[in-house]
Amino acid sequence: MPTTIHVEGVWKVYGAGTPREVVAVRDVSLKAGPGRVTALGGPSGSGKTTLLCIMGLLTRPTRGRVFIDGTDLTGVSEVFRTRVRRQKIGFVFQAQYLLPQLTAVENVALPLLCTDISRAEAEELAEERLTELGLGHRLHFRVAELSGGEQQRVSIARSLIRGPEVLIADEPSSSIDARQTADLLAVLRGMVDSRGLAVIVASHDPRVLDWADHVYWLRDGRVVEAGQ
Amino acid sequence: MGIRRHVNLGSYALGNVLKYGPRSAVLVLALMFSTALLCSTEFIHEGVTVDIYASASESPDIVVQRLEAGRQALVPQQWVKNASVVRGVRLVTPRVWGYVDIGGGRLVTVMGVNASVYGLAFGAVGTDVLDGGRFIQPDDRGKIVVGQGIVDLMQNAYSPVTIGVGSSLGIVAYNGTTMEFEVVGVFSSQARVFSNDLIVTDLQSARDLFGLLNASGFTDLAVWTEYHEDINDVAFRLDTRLAGSRVLTRDAIRDLQLKAYGGRAGAVALVWATSLASIVLVAFMASSAASDEARREVGLLKALGYDTVDVIEIRMFEATVISLFGASLGVSAAVFFDFVLGAPGLALFLLGWSIPLLNNGIPLAVSAQTIFTAYVVAITPVIVATVVPAWRNAITEPDTVLRGV
Repeated sequence: MPTTIHVEGVWKVYGAGTPREVVAVRDVSLKAGPGRVTALGGPSGSGKTTLLCIMGLLTRPTRGRVFIDGTDLTGVSEVFRTRVRRQKIGFVFQAQYLLPQLTAVENVALPLLCTDISRAEAEELAEERLTELGLGHRLHFRVAELSGGEQQRVSIARSLIRGPEVLIADEPSSSIDARQTADLLAVLRGMVDSRGLAVIVASHDPRVLDWADHVYWLRDGRVVEAGQ
Repeated sequence: MGIRRHVNLGSYALGNVLKYGPRSAVLVLALMFSTALLCSTEFIHEGVTVDIYASASESPDIVVQRLEAGRQALVPQQWVKNASVVRGVRLVTPRVWGYVDIGGGRLVTVMGVNASVYGLAFGAVGTDVLDGGRFIQPDDRGKIVVGQGIVDLMQNAYSPVTIGVGSSLGIVAYNGTTMEFEVVGVFSSQARVFSNDLIVTDLQSARDLFGLLNASGFTDLAVWTEYHEDINDVAFRLDTRLAGSRVLTRDAIRDLQLKAYGGRAGAVALVWATSLASIVLVAFMASSAASDEARREVGLLKALGYDTVDVIEIRMFEATVISLFGASLGVSAAVFFDFVLGAPGLALFLLGWSIPLLNNGIPLAVSAQTIFTAYVVAITPVIVATVVPAWRNAITEPDTVLRGV
């Protein structure tokens, strides 16, 4: 079932009440729907990553509410949020967070190991995903042995391994060149169109922002502009 | 929840143990060392404890010594009569004992007893004579019964000698001359330290051997009490009746011996505790917020949909594999060190002056309780030190853990 993520009046304050208090997100409301690419633009420190984390249920907003398919998930238990993340959301992190001790296949299969799929089946699926993304010749390479672009594609393959309905990507083009970026965007667009994937991407790369269907501009944690 | 999920998590954890080879190896080696130290000490400590209890069961109920100016002096003949009439005393036998060299620098204990009385003491050391032999008789001179340890010792000597009933044994006397004794019996004993290599003879022969020319003097008195009597009460009466005496009950002697060895084992336990604390610290550092890599891994697993219990299961599996392996190697190393090598260095520290008397090797004992304890104290702290920080990270929001904010 296609998934819609909707945040309403969310705030995120780090170190609230201390001298080091930082307001990362201020009263933001936005919606990301299926079959669309929603981009968050803005300079560094504008709150893009924090907003992505809120929408991806990786952190709770200090104030405001988060809805997925109309269900308010703001106050639900961590166990339930984890289950929703597992079933519906895939992540591509800016720092990728690939495990260096594992091979490309093992990294991609990782999200399936906490399910009832056998390891062999998981690795088979991972091989398929990596091959689709042009990494069929790097399946059993350790992450450190891959280029930045290849690592990024491993990270994307991992995010898609469970067939999520929402893909959240933080600066997906930060460590790859223009050609690789174009390839990556093409792959993602194909998934948006063919599977109805909802993609939420944070970037300050103009190519990514131009490619998105809808862009929200953030500055100092606020949405200052929104457009198609 | 399906078994496959647990198999996957276990497989992932095992992969981590292997892929973080150096870290795992350090923990395994450190655990091996600490467990080996603990087990080696415990095997000896337990061996000595078992031996002390066995020895106590073969000992008289009470030993009476005489002190003169704070030093042990010979007990006069009159004390035998005086002790015999004390209420609650069943048997009294004077003893003359000391250490002698039987060649090759090996020291054994020779104990001279009043054969007619001593032979009546049920279970007394030396009286459990094996088939084919007998205990010494009242009119015997130059006759001995020897512990099985003496037989083994002579058999394993550089120039092996078979000792048995009818054979003679030369013992170096106080003046350097060799006195020949005839073996009339071989006895078995459960106690290794104190009586396995004991030689029992008559009082006069023992006096001749040790040069105790004062024919009426004895080293001490061995006393057995009436079965219904409280040993401490009888000891108190003896102490009151025999001025200048030191009265030692079997329990007191046993406790003294246990304390002497237990204290040294305690010192080793301190070294063991310190080394285990270091291991726990290493495990904690490797798994805690102090290790960015471990922290980020937990955050990532959470972000990818792993539950907190999944993360804990992975870490617990890792810790269990490492600590089980380390502890098993440690137990094996301890068995090899103690039983094959004879615990060089450690035995000397633990047993001290007793070592020259241990002709048949150090006393060793292994019990299921010791092995169980060794595993528990090796595994539990490592699991706690690994799982607790992982749990703390797992219950924190993945974003916070991943970014370290």
